Amino acid sequence: MSTGGWAGKIIRVNLTSGKISSEDTSKYQDFIGGMGIGYKVLFDEVPAGTKPYDEANKIVVGTGPLCGSGVPMSSRTNITSLYPGNDKNLVTDSHMGGNFAAFLKYAGWDAIIIEGASSKPVWLRIEDDKVTLEDASSLWGTGIYNTTAVIGSTMGKESCVAAIGQAGENLVNLAVIMNGSSHSAGGHGAVFGSKKLKAIGVKGTGSVKIGKDKKELMDLDAYVMKEIVGANNQHVVPSTPQPWSEFVYENSRWTAREGLTWGASEGNIDTGIAAPGDVNKVGYRTMKAIKDLGPVAAKYTVRMGGCQSCPIRCHAQMNIPQLEQYGVSPYAANTCMGWFSPAGVMFKGTKDQKEEGDGNMITRALGSQLADDYGVWCNYGSIGRDFQYAYESGILKNVLPEEEYNSIPWNLLEAGDPAFLKEFYRRVTFKEGEFSHLGDGTYHIAKRWNFGADYWDTKKYSMWSPLGFPKHHASDESYQVGAIINCMFNRDAQSHSHQNFISSGLPVDILKKIAEKLWGSADAIDPPANYTPMNQYKAKFAKYGVIRNCLHDSLTLCNWMWPLTASPLKEREYMGDTSLESKYFSVVTGIDTTEEELDLMGERVFTLHRALTVKEMGTTDMRGQHDLMVNWVFDIDPDKKPFTEGTIKMDRDDMQLALTMFYKEMGWDEKTGAPTRATLEKLNMKDVADELAKLGLLPA
Amino acid sequence: MSNNEKKGFLDKETTRREFLKLSGKGIGGTFISLSLLNLLGCTNTNVEEVAAFPLAQGVLIADRARCTGCLRCETNCSLANDGKAMPYISRIKVSRNYNFGTDGPKLAYAYADGAFGNKLMSPETCRQCAEPYCGKACPVGAITTNEIGARVVDQAKCVGCGTCTKACPWTMPTVDPETSKSTKCVNCGTCAANCPTGALRIVPWEEVKYAMRKLGYKA
Repeated sequence: MSTGGWAGKIIRVNLTSGKISSEDTSKYQDFIGGMGIGYKVLFDEVPAGTKPYDEANKIVVGTGPLCGSGVPMSSRTNITSLYPGNDKNLVTDSHMGGNFAAFLKYAGWDAIIIEGASSKPVWLRIEDDKVTLEDASSLWGTGIYNTTAVIGSTMGKESCVAAIGQAGENLVNLAVIMNGSSHSAGGHGAVFGSKKLKAIGVKGTGSVKIGKDKKELMDLDAYVMKEIVGANNQHVVPSTPQPWSEFVYENSRWTAREGLTWGASEGNIDTGIAAPGDVNKVGYRTMKAIKDLGPVAAKYTVRMGGCQSCPIRCHAQMNIPQLEQYGVSPYAANTCMGWFSPAGVMFKGTKDQKEEGDGNMITRALGSQLADDYGVWCNYGSIGRDFQYAYESGILKNVLPEEEYNSIPWNLLEAGDPAFLKEFYRRVTFKEGEFSHLGDGTYHIAKRWNFGADYWDTKKYSMWSPLGFPKHHASDESYQVGAIINCMFNRDAQSHSHQNFISSGLPVDILKKIAEKLWGSADAIDPPANYTPMNQYKAKFAKYGVIRNCLHDSLTLCNWMWPLTASPLKEREYMGDTSLESKYFSVVTGIDTTEEELDLMGERVFTLHRALTVKEMGTTDMRGQHDLMVNWVFDIDPDKKPFTEGTIKMDRDDMQLALTMFYKEMGWDEKTGAPTRATLEKLNMKDVADELAKLGLLPA
Repeated sequence: MSNNEKKGFLDKETTRREFLKLSGKGIGGTFISLSLLNLLGCTNTNVEEVAAFPLAQGVLIADRARCTGCLRCETNCSLANDGKAMPYISRIKVSRNYNFGTDGPKLAYAYADGAFGNKLMSPETCRQCAEPYCGKACPVGAITTNEIGARVVDQAKCVGCGTCTKACPWTMPTVDPETSKSTKCVNCGTCAANCPTGALRIVPWEEVKYAMRKLGYKA
């Protein structure tokens, strides 16, 4: 094992027997950490055919060697387990930022493997080496906020708590595990619930060791902070004209400008001119409050916030007094989908109360508090779209018993009154009536309520896969590259490697120059809505996207920021630095590792994901049974042809070619998309190949 | 604040302690602002901002309104001073108050300090006290003053007994469980230099004196 980075130990908790043991992390070193450990444990230890809520399912809460080291954007928790949102019971990852991951490292642990199931509610208490199971019967039935406060009073204010709410307890498929006041991991809350595990509390007095000289690490940090890091999603161009920038990109999350203030802060703090190079202003670059909640939100913003170690503050911290009329605290925090999802539920729109846009802001803030406290997930916004479809198509009126249908205050929904959200989330959380099946997840609800083909085949509902997960930066934004990436996982793709680059705000000719250096040709990327047929450079770009995503979730780094492909500096010709992960890895762990070597480790992790999917599905036919896309991808814009200006319409044959080229890049079987023995052995996974061979699941 | 206390502000331990108690929640910067003077216990709203003198000896002050809880100061502190990332011994303390403020969780947490409350962080810093409680309490005389006036722990002398931790009114010195030696702020400024929102500043004591004089205090 190395001298730095990893804590070196993993907790194994068997909830059936109550046995807690410590294992050496070194056996997972080839898989780095986080996601890699999760896949290895599931491949080795969870038999194919296991269902998410079975006692035999395991859930791995993992961090990686860079987590806790102070490397920017490194406090990510990766949670791996079987996912209950569709009938395939496949492995997925859920992720959360916040402080939990770093705190786990400081307590001396790289990961927690949770197995078995308890007969009564418990919570796991971790104080350095002391790890115990505690009675959670008094916590069962309480929301995440109160659970955190109670455990915080028990363990000490310095503890960090990851907990489920009532949704997870009640085995709502769409449930989260959350730490801090706004950092939630979607899809595995009910796996905790099925094991009667309410929460994990952690505090630590230890350290993350640095393998090499501390100065090397601090120099790298200074370089990143001065020259490379951008704003949220690694946007490197400001959203308004700024003296330091030759470009402007309206959609950029680099919002800092004179006159844009944290309006509810003491002194009305100005985000100001936060130019590249000014390290004491990096945290003002992104005022996500106005992106997520609208311009009205500026004056309700107490500050920005986010995760341990991250200089980019993407979680808006709000003080919205109007929330109190709904019986919740005026203080709310969240980012992105945490705010968007409740607005999706209120699909009839929201009514302003005092000023323009406040209805929308209040709706999002109320919904985020309700969902976070109950611990309800949204399947990346799908819960609102599923609800909308069922309501507008008339299905809901047919499937709900009349009495139940009439008990729902539709007038609130129709009037744009956020109070409707209290009804919505309560019914879903406590499984009240037929309506609550919206919390089962899209796949199940579409089947149960017999959604029509128009649901799947209309872009409005954002579905990507017949497995019931939505698009997440897919073909509509980056064509074949986004499409490939969206086909690869078993839930919505949480890969931002590709998206952050193409939406960095730089003009396409500059992006193309960078693309040429990184993937061999400017043809790796396309201008918006004017894309070209598949080529091998796009396959390389897609591979970069997926592999870096897996690396980040193993190291653990935030893929909402990493990789730092572009830079805000003109003098660098806007080139970021794709070798940074390997440089940090070398310095922190003390193991000299090149960019290519680290990428190979990412390839190993992702190929193991593929092998695990093959094993769980019991087929090598990934192309025919897994890497699927719904029809709107190909049938949108009926009057237009693919590869013509002004359309995102994809071509069916071209996408099959795209998959073939990607499989080839990965060294997988080009026909089926399954990993071959040769590739598995090249990646040092002979045991995985042997297991698949035993099951008859290696491609011919 | 009585007149008597006003006259000898910097000499009176009790008053000074009141100031220092407040300063953890306060503002530091290139300017002595109204906010900082408020921290000194002054509520005169007509006070103008006055320019600072960049003198060496100072006190680390955190502006809680600017603090976003990224905790980079804690890892930077321990990296710079100890060569490892170890927030527990960071000389600036933010994470221990992250969720529920300095007082910890209480029934009305939703309206109290912290991420689960009013969203305000409670960064705590070493005041480099004129008559340091830590130094006076140390049974082996391991806490001394360095060339820039900071009170520092002599690692060779320290026996790791934790008396300094208990003596400090704000529990700032911390014994490193991995070395059994105490650690405390040496005013190196690494945290402030790298704070992504400029929420930390080392304010020279002379600035505080000057500001007090402007207010009519004898300092």
